[in-house]
Parts: sequence; C-alpha cells; structure tokens
Amino acid sequence: MKTTIIDPQTVVESKDQLDYRAELPPDESGNMAAVSVRGLTVSYGERPVLRSVSFDVNSGQIVGVVGPNGAGKSTLLRAILGLIPLDAGSITLSGKPISQCRNRVAYVPQTEAVDWDFPVTVQDVVLMGRYGRLGLFGRPKHADRSAAEEALELVGMTEYAHRHIRQLSGGQQQRVFLARALCQDADILLLDEPFAGVDAATEQTIFNLITKLAAQGKTLIVVNHDLSVLDRFDIILLLNQQVVAFGPTNQAVNDRNLHRTYGGRLTLLDRADSALRDNRGDS
Amino acid sequence: MTGVLAQLEFDWSQWSVPFAAQWWQETTCSVLVGIACGVLGCYVVLRRMALIGDALSHAVLPGVVIAFLITGNTGIGGLFFGALLAGLVTAGLIKLVSQFSRTKEDSAIGIVFTALFALGIVLISSLPRGTHFDLKCFLFGDPLAVGTDDLIMMAIIAPMVIAIVVLLYHPLKLASFDPVVAAAMGISVTALHYLLMGMLSATVVAGLKTTGVILVVAMVITPASAAYQLTNRLAPMLVLAGLFGAVSAAMGMALAFVTNSPTGPAMVLVATSIFAGAMILSPSEGVLFRMLRRHQIKLHIASEDVLKAVYRLAEARVACTVGAIVNRVELSLTSVNVALKTLTNEACVEMHSREVRLTPDGKQRAIGLVRAHRLWESYLVEEAGIGLDAIHTEAERLEHAHHLAEEIDKKLGHPQRDPHGTIIPTN
Repeated sequence: MKTTIIDPQTVVESKDQLDYRAELPPDESGNMAAVSVRGLTVSYGERPVLRSVSFDVNSGQIVGVVGPNGAGKSTLLRAILGLIPLDAGSITLSGKPISQCRNRVAYVPQTEAVDWDFPVTVQDVVLMGRYGRLGLFGRPKHADRSAAEEALELVGMTEYAHRHIRQLSGGQQQRVFLARALCQDADILLLDEPFAGVDAATEQTIFNLITKLAAQGKTLIVVNHDLSVLDRFDIILLLNQQVVAFGPTNQAVNDRNLHRTYGGRLTLLDRADSALRDNRGDS
Repeated sequence: MTGVLAQLEFDWSQWSVPFAAQWWQETTCSVLVGIACGVLGCYVVLRRMALIGDALSHAVLPGVVIAFLITGNTGIGGLFFGALLAGLVTAGLIKLVSQFSRTKEDSAIGIVFTALFALGIVLISSLPRGTHFDLKCFLFGDPLAVGTDDLIMMAIIAPMVIAIVVLLYHPLKLASFDPVVAAAMGISVTALHYLLMGMLSATVVAGLKTTGVILVVAMVITPASAAYQLTNRLAPMLVLAGLFGAVSAAMGMALAFVTNSPTGPAMVLVATSIFAGAMILSPSEGVLFRMLRRHQIKLHIASEDVLKAVYRLAEARVACTVGAIVNRVELSLTSVNVALKTLTNEACVEMHSREVRLTPDGKQRAIGLVRAHRLWESYLVEEAGIGLDAIHTEAERLEHAHHLAEEIDKKLGHPQRDPHGTIIPTN
C-alpha cells in the first residue's frame, strides 16, 4: 500500500539554511497537514539537539525517522507530544497546538523504557489509553472498557487480556502498547523504536498493523535506529540534529544522504548498505 | 555508642503492659502508621524511590528541631508541619542537585539528606541551655512518648492517605508506570511526585515515635515489597501492603512484650519475616514453587525419556531390563526406577518378571515422542538451518514440546522421513 502523495520533485534536502522550509502540498482534501513542524529548535542546556527542523506529515502517511544515536529522534517525539520547551519554532497538529488537542496524539514507548515488572495486566495497560479523558478523579466506565477490548481485538491480543505484561513475548508487548495507543482514539501515533529486538515475523505483524492504521487515515511517525527497515516506509526523514533529507524513500535514501546522516561513520554505513542491498527480497 | 546500649537496656516491660490504656494508644497508632506506610510504600517500591524514603526520614530532623525552636515545645502540630516542610524541601533539593550538576540522582539523595541530618544535629546542640530535645527518641523511637495527640494526628493522616490514593488511583498508576504518556495526556507528573513525597513525610514523621528514623524506612518498603511478590495487580498490592503493615505493627507490639525488647525493631523483624515468607511462597516468583515446578518438569522429562528408551529397545529386539534402560538414557538408576514407577501408574508400561513391556497406550505415547523428535529434527534443519550433527541433542530437548509436533508437520508439508533418512512414524 502506498499512500504517498508527495510529488517526487519535492524531495528536499537541507541546505543548512536556518529558515529552511519543507514545502509540501496539502493533502487531497485540502486540509492542513496532520503534523506540521516549523523551524523546530530544541537544546538541552548549551547543547542543541534539534536545529530548525521543518516537515509536514499528512494524515494516512507513515513516516520513518532514521538517524544515529543522539540525532534527536526521541527529542523530536517528545517535542511533538508537548513535553519539552521549544527554543524556537512551532509544532501544530491540523493547525492547533498540542496543548489544545492532547488526546489526538498517542505514544508507544521503547520496550526498554517500560518497567515490565510493574503490577499491571495487559488489560490494565490498554485501559490506560483512556486515562487522558477520565479527568483527575475519574473512573473508567463501561464504554472505556469496551474500547479497550476492541483495541485488544484489533491487535489480536484478546486471549492475553489477563496476563501480566512480563509474560508476553517482545512482539506481543509491542502490540499491547499499540493497542493502548489505539484505545486512546488518537489519530496521530508516535512509535519509538518499535522494531528494536523483535524477530522478522513480529516486525511483519507490526508493519501490517501500522499499514492498516494508515489506511484508516491515521498518521504514524515511527522512529528507528536500525536501517534495515528503511525501505518499508513510504516517506523517510533522515535526521541528524537537522533534517538531512525528507521525502519518498527511494528519493530521500541514497548513499550521499546516508553518509551525511551518519557523519561518515563507515561501519554503520556499511551495515546500512548491506541491509539495503540484500534485504527483504525474499519476504 | 554507650548511649545506644543504655537505651536498649531500658526495661520496656514497664510501659508495654498489654491492654493498658498506653498500650492501646501505642498499638493503634503503630497500626495506623503501618497501614499508611504500607500503602505509600507500594509507590516508593514501584517508582524505585526506596533511597528517597530513607532520605526523607532522616531529613525531617532539622524541620522538627526548627519547629521545636519556634514553638518551644514538642507539640505535635508544629513538629508535623516542620517535618512536612523539611520533607518537601528535601525532595526539591534532590531534584535541584541532580538537575543542575552532573551528580546522578542516588548521589544527590545522599548529599542532601546527610547534609540536612547534620544540620539538624548542629541545631540541636545550639539549642538554649536547659531545653531538652531527645535525639535518642528521634533515632530509635520511644513508644512512651506516643501521646493522645500523636494518635489523633495519625487518625487523620492514615485515612487521608488512603482517600488520596483511592481518589487518584488511576493518575498515580499511570504516572508511576509510564510518566511520559501520563505527561503527554496532561497529567501533572511533578505534582503527583510532590504529593507522594508530602504524604510520605507526614507518615514518616508520625512513625518516628514508634520506630525511629533509622528503622522507619523498613515499614515503608518491606511490607510493600512482600505484597509485590504476591500479586500481579496494583490494587491488590496496595491492599496487601496496608494489611502487612498493620500486621507487622500489631505483631511487633506482641513480640516486643514477649521478648522484653523495644517495639520498633520488633515490628521491623515481623515485617521482614512476612517478606521472607512471601519470597518463599509467592506463586509466580517464589523459591518454593519454582523449585517444585522445576522438579515436576524434570520428572516428566525423565519419564518420557525412559518411555522412549523402552520403545527403542523393543524396536531393536533387545531384552528391556532396567539395566538396559539405564545404559540408554542419561539418568541414574534411581531416576529410572522413579520414572518406571510413574509410567506403571499411568499404565504405560508393565513389568513382566525382570522385563519392562509397553502397554498399547504406552506404545502410542512413545510413538508420539519419537514422531515429535524426528519432526523437530526436520524443522531444525529446514527452518532453522542447523547442521545435522547438532540437531539430535537439540531435538532431544525440544521433543518434550510434543504439542507443537503437528504444527511442524503441517508447516513442513507432512514429511515422510527425518534428516537422517529414518521414517517419521504416525500415530
């Protein structure tokens, strides 16, 4: 499924200009971009992490964000979630700032970032997706519970509802957190390294799922550390503190851009090349 | 140190006369402290803040001394607010130090609480001559000092802690489990953190008179850790931890009377015994059940191995004596005998004089095992790409997962022979 509606001509590469803008056409219905990042600059103390990052993502698109460690990938997600102060620039979701539409964005954390010993069952975790609308003292209602059940059904985890989260395989854990995001009824999903440490079959399952979600009009921004999954995305954002390239995968990903993204770290580049060359011809 | 020993030589029995008014006051107050500490302890344990709990209890000293300086007495209200303020200042300072230096949080906690504790001691020595501030009571607890106002304060704090935890159950759960998503949903994670710190300081200062600064952290983390061993859900964990806290306090009082020892340490020892019990008896993590399960699996595997050996010996038309079986399997004579007994009970084998024979049922089961073994060998070669010489040992282990055999059969397209060319039997 390719929902790419970007004209290949608009593939953009940053020219190191601070006021750089990714000019992308609005989607077919003429709506504003689902996620619009403009001149985003974030720093931790003295050290800048993101420098004038701009890009637009339309609904129904899956964007793969790729870059080395410390490239600011997770910071970008946190910025979109509205969790860190911005030094400059703006982020709007269909024209509104995040503070006005918190429930529209869902976040799927890195598996390593989760405390798998926390006393919660699969059902508990999914139900947490509804907490944003409960208010401070609210209790989950029947409607919330059935939404959680539906989300579990959608990721095929219904039979595991009463399991403790530690008793799941890596792929099942990912699916539970995806279900939580779905249960949140968000239309923008941010996934932080969902393919870290999962096997090929699980990777496929997750891809099928996010492709299905994109077809329903959800917007997905997927952060990756591993380059081997690059060619599965419609659109790629190569990030190393600034946008190295943004556009359809076959246009944005080339040796030169990868080299610029990874700053000439040859070992990584070699791995990328080999991954891109002989990968997934069979699957 | 002599001061400490003198403290311990004190004849505790003169006050802890069971069912006297003072005893009731002390017990009720301790039980309430136990409940509040247990419930809050769940969050301390789950958020990995055990060190902060310890820090808070030490750092309330300057708050208590300053309150004493201002009000001039050990009135409970002043002490309470002094301690509460000190607790929040501690939590804030820890955040500040770890944020604005390269010091990591654990060291930041250490720096802040020792500094505040030291400040408290210096303040005590600078108290005007003639004022009596009992540091020993602060360090080790002094049940004699538990008065009606302590009891009243605890009777307010404990229900309040429970009410807040119940009302904010969901936000607290999410903020503890996944602070990023909680913050993204607009829940103020920082406010909840300080709320927990505030409740903890309030409870700890009330617990000081029963257990003292040094041991009060045990009442926070030990009952909660015991509850953590026993359940996979947060709500039951909170209830259990509160219960364990109450039981530790009540039984600690009894133990202290029986052994004529101070109450605080007795409570801590009871709590630790509960924790040890939970560690051993926990159904999912417990040492006992784990050993039992491992033993059962070992027995099961041994009997399947013996069954297969009997089948192979019959196939090869060799007299199937116990000795012959022992030669074929990697098991001791005792294990083989135990396995044969199990198999006889399951009506899989029969003893005919000195020879073991398979019953029709046993034969069926043995064929199933051989089939699983050979299917797994095929799977390992074809799907996992493992060399022929390595597959036998691996399949020896995997064949016990025989419930997956039919799935392999389907996946491989119903193979007739295994990689060694031997026929795969069907049952």
